[in-house]
Amino acid sequence: MDTNFPPQPLPDRFEPFPEGIEPAVPIEGYPNTWTHTPAQPLIRRPVTRTEATGPLELWRKLPCDESNLAALGPGRIAQGQLMHMSGRILDEEGRPVRGAVVELWQANAAGRYYHPIDQRDAPLDPNFVGNGRVRTDEGGRYAFFTIKPGAYPVPVKDTWWRPPHVHFSILGPSSLSRLVTQMYFPGDPMNEWDRILQSIPDAAAQQRLIARQTHPAEVGDGWIAFTHDIVLRGRYATPEA
Amino acid sequence: MDLLAPSSQHTIGPFFPRTFFSDGDNDLTRLHAGAEPTRRGETILLRGRVTKEGGFPCINMILEAWQADAEGRFNHPQDPEQHLADPDFLGWGRAWTDAEGRYEFRTLVPGGYDDLAGRRAPHINLSVMGAGLMRRVLAALYFPDFAKANAADPLLKLVPEGRRHKIVAVPDGKEEGLRVFRFDIHLRGNVEEETPFFED
Repeated sequence: MDTNFPPQPLPDRFEPFPEGIEPAVPIEGYPNTWTHTPAQPLIRRPVTRTEATGPLELWRKLPCDESNLAALGPGRIAQGQLMHMSGRILDEEGRPVRGAVVELWQANAAGRYYHPIDQRDAPLDPNFVGNGRVRTDEGGRYAFFTIKPGAYPVPVKDTWWRPPHVHFSILGPSSLSRLVTQMYFPGDPMNEWDRILQSIPDAAAQQRLIARQTHPAEVGDGWIAFTHDIVLRGRYATPEA
Repeated sequence: MDLLAPSSQHTIGPFFPRTFFSDGDNDLTRLHAGAEPTRRGETILLRGRVTKEGGFPCINMILEAWQADAEGRFNHPQDPEQHLADPDFLGWGRAWTDAEGRYEFRTLVPGGYDDLAGRRAPHINLSVMGAGLMRRVLAALYFPDFAKANAADPLLKLVPEGRRHKIVAVPDGKEEGLRVFRFDIHLRGNVEEETPFFED
């Protein structure tokens, strides 16, 4: 794999999140948000070098070679709707973020995670673990082969459901551009009932977490296809000449 | 130029895959598990517990560390001395908490450095993510060895004076010949209990 990209300017300006974009907490029906969220005011600080920088060679620690979640090995195809998931990682100025580490994880087609904490009474798929990690290319692009995840009920007293969703963790060029988020599927009525998605106050910001379905022919006709761009924080103090 | 709005944060949830972790992820002294440790700086063990309201432990929280090398440099273009940064030090590591809320990193005592905002005392940035945290929580820890530098640190000075001691790690003996530091993170409590956190 090509691991070195030509030098490029990196974002050095980080503004607070615009209003309405960050989730409103705590969330009714999500008890952990009431016991974990800091109660004291957060301390505003200037951005110094330690906040503006981040690990640029993270691929040396985190292998970025797992893009096919749909097959555990030859003949071991996961159950569910085979799905191609791709998009771009951009900064706030729309420039591609090259070499970003993109981690994706999700439930199986029955809505169960391959995780010891998930003890729900839904089948595990022996051919599906459900996590992958890649690096973006020069155009900031990432792509995974996977399956469409199932929905699942949240095990709290008054049960509510998570719609099908995909988790993303992105490590960009700065510790302030670090992002953990989730992606949803277009047209699913469950999106409007999801307390996590609905915790984002701004309707347009919610919509930006919903992927776009593209024609399967674009990815070879063997898979349904979704595309989803993700924007990391970061601007440029000095415009490029 | 039209700016794009950053994507919203969401919780990392309870199911961040354990299969994402490899040996050595919480060891900052090595580039990766198979690499030789860097020969610069003092290796230490950093340990602590993550607790929620009421002091109960938080299981399966994800912690990410980011820090300068032993001489206070970052291998990043925004460090004017990037060319002098330790080539065997990435500055980043990741750990998760067990059923008692415990985490551990093996790392180096970072160096301080001059910044436009003032001279930064040696410190380690920690991001905490987990179920119930819709946004990541940002902490920074300092070392008791550098009381004078701490007192002048432009960011530590922003923390109300009575709370500053809460983000100075506590010496906790020696193990394998290495100094051990303890840094507990109390996510939510009254002003005496809660760890001071910074805005994202």
